[in-house]
Amino acid sequence: MKKNLRFYVAFYLAKLARWTLKVLKRNASYFPGKLAITICPDFLGRIDKPKTIIGVTGTNGKTTVCNILEEALRKNGYELIDNHLGSNVNSGIASSLIEEADNRGRQKKEIAVFELDERSAVKIYPYLVPTYLVCTNLFRDSLRRNAHTEFIFNILNKSIPKETKLILNGDDLLVSNLAKENERVYFGIGRLETDEDTCHNIVQDISICPNCSSKLEWEFVRYNHIGRAHCSKCDFCSPQIDYEVTQIDFEQKNMTIRNNGIEETYDIMNDNIINIYNVLTVISVLKELGMTKEQIEKGLEGQKIVDTRYSEEMINGIKVVTHLAKGLNPIACSRVFDYVRKQPGNKAVIMILDNLHDAATSSENTAWQYDTDYEFLNDDSIKQILIAGARYLDGLVRLEIADVDKDKIIAKRKELELVQDLDLEGIDKVFILHDLHSTELRDRIKEQVREKIEKERK
Amino acid sequence: MEEEKKIEILFPEFCNLAGDSSNMRYLRKCMPKAEFIETSFDEEMTFTKENVDLIYLGPMTESRQEKVIEKLKPYTDTIKQKIKENVTFLFTGNALEIMGKYIENEDGSRIEGLGIFDIYSKRDMLNRHNSLFKGLFEDIEIVGFKSQFSMSYGNNENCYFAKVEHGIGMNPKSQLEGIYDHHFIGTYVIGPILILNPLFTKRVIEMMGVDTPYLAFAQETMDAYKQRLKEIH
Repeated sequence: MKKNLRFYVAFYLAKLARWTLKVLKRNASYFPGKLAITICPDFLGRIDKPKTIIGVTGTNGKTTVCNILEEALRKNGYELIDNHLGSNVNSGIASSLIEEADNRGRQKKEIAVFELDERSAVKIYPYLVPTYLVCTNLFRDSLRRNAHTEFIFNILNKSIPKETKLILNGDDLLVSNLAKENERVYFGIGRLETDEDTCHNIVQDISICPNCSSKLEWEFVRYNHIGRAHCSKCDFCSPQIDYEVTQIDFEQKNMTIRNNGIEETYDIMNDNIINIYNVLTVISVLKELGMTKEQIEKGLEGQKIVDTRYSEEMINGIKVVTHLAKGLNPIACSRVFDYVRKQPGNKAVIMILDNLHDAATSSENTAWQYDTDYEFLNDDSIKQILIAGARYLDGLVRLEIADVDKDKIIAKRKELELVQDLDLEGIDKVFILHDLHSTELRDRIKEQVREKIEKERK
Repeated sequence: MEEEKKIEILFPEFCNLAGDSSNMRYLRKCMPKAEFIETSFDEEMTFTKENVDLIYLGPMTESRQEKVIEKLKPYTDTIKQKIKENVTFLFTGNALEIMGKYIENEDGSRIEGLGIFDIYSKRDMLNRHNSLFKGLFEDIEIVGFKSQFSMSYGNNENCYFAKVEHGIGMNPKSQLEGIYDHHFIGTYVIGPILILNPLFTKRVIEMMGVDTPYLAFAQETMDAYKQRLKEIH
């Protein structure tokens, strides 16, 4: 699409809005793009774009993948455009492109990494054709916004441009069937000792063949519908994996990836399987960009999962871990619960998962709690569970339905009154699981935990 | 006698959206001696060959709705008969739509339903409706949520499930939610409805012929119910 008068009006007004917001020290990562698209609806199609665009979409992991990928590229000398400080919908993408464009709307940087909201695909892909599109996974997410995986799959499937090369999670039977006509590569992790033959989660969004409705036969299930399977009656099956993890050494914190018959070993950064997938995803993208092992290692060196999502600290012999567990997102929470139960030692778990906006203005739709595997918290190694927030009574019911011993549960309305009931006797780790928007509360609770440990464990 | 009760859960492998499969998880805890039969999509349905006391069908995706209609269609008369015989049915979310005359897509194309109730549904995949719900079922206040792409229309004046006190009925212009006919209950209200509404759960168990229903975690579910009643106004 060519630039027209309307485009230039939108562009310069958006530039002015951005400048004004910056002067006022306000966030300029959404409004300038929103303004531009309001004035010129096909603005995204008209503005210059970098030669190479890497899009990252999917339910979970896209922010982490983008963070690691951007850092790895920068460490290798690439200058790039990203939207990591802003919104992942069309307005956020437009804002990023406006910010980086010169006064004539031209881009200097040759590569962009954009986190792309899967629900917004219809508003993005007609105007912005990713060179590569990564899809991390497709799971149930916010019921209110994302409905169900079939809905999101259909949106992506109809919107992904034919020219885009896909880099897909081959262990996700929904993802691996996206846009079948497109060129693609798959990444995946081969069977692990911890994998199962059947699903132990509440939710498994593909359990029968999408083609013939026959039962799927699972070669292994890792969690939910992540694993490898084939139809018992037709030829529907998991794909051949191009970038496959053949071994994970949790002690040495590394993994071996096989591609085209060649095996290479890389650090895993973090021992949580979701983060191993995230790092594998990044490595697959970097390989597709033609990087060598040395370049990739240089890019990943020293990186860690950002503190807003995961942190750990030893305080007088007790490890205090903060872990993002996105409320409303059942699989993200289930993954965290599974991770917590599998960690060695005795644990206390503090949970502040309520939607703070709903708590302030309405009554949260808590249906997501029943797609979430609270049952994983019913584990001998978890000695105490402390929940707080507007939905504390619902949380208590949910934990009891998961057969968690009531004596282990502390449920309170006020988040900052929880820690006084934390029992540190015999505890090796305290987990603070928090929603995306509860970081301030998380930090205050962590300080309370620190004070309690320093007082009681000298 | 609770131990004689038989509950059939239809197609739990995919009729399980919005956490609603926990309606049955909770019912198992309230009726620990009852027999629960989970019927997969490729299996013969138990209610077609023997008596059951409750048939449960949960919310599903739009494409699965069409498969379920195909599967149930040959048993339309059996279902009608079961309703007349006061067998308890609980259909939640868009499972209710299967019982209507048809489901209409945005392009006007229609999927024929079982035609058991005088209602029809319309999909609008571009606009998802989300709301809180409070309404009166007989003398019991029902609370819960709605999160759906489709709405139902038609006459449920003489067979509605709940009179709306907050939120919407079968469609935004209706103050009457769902269907209640003999012991058939069909409602868009999700929650899961049985966990959120302990008094209603008791009534459902009574409908199955249990004289003294037991409620698992009665105090805790009642506390949460009362809190939500206060919040939805």
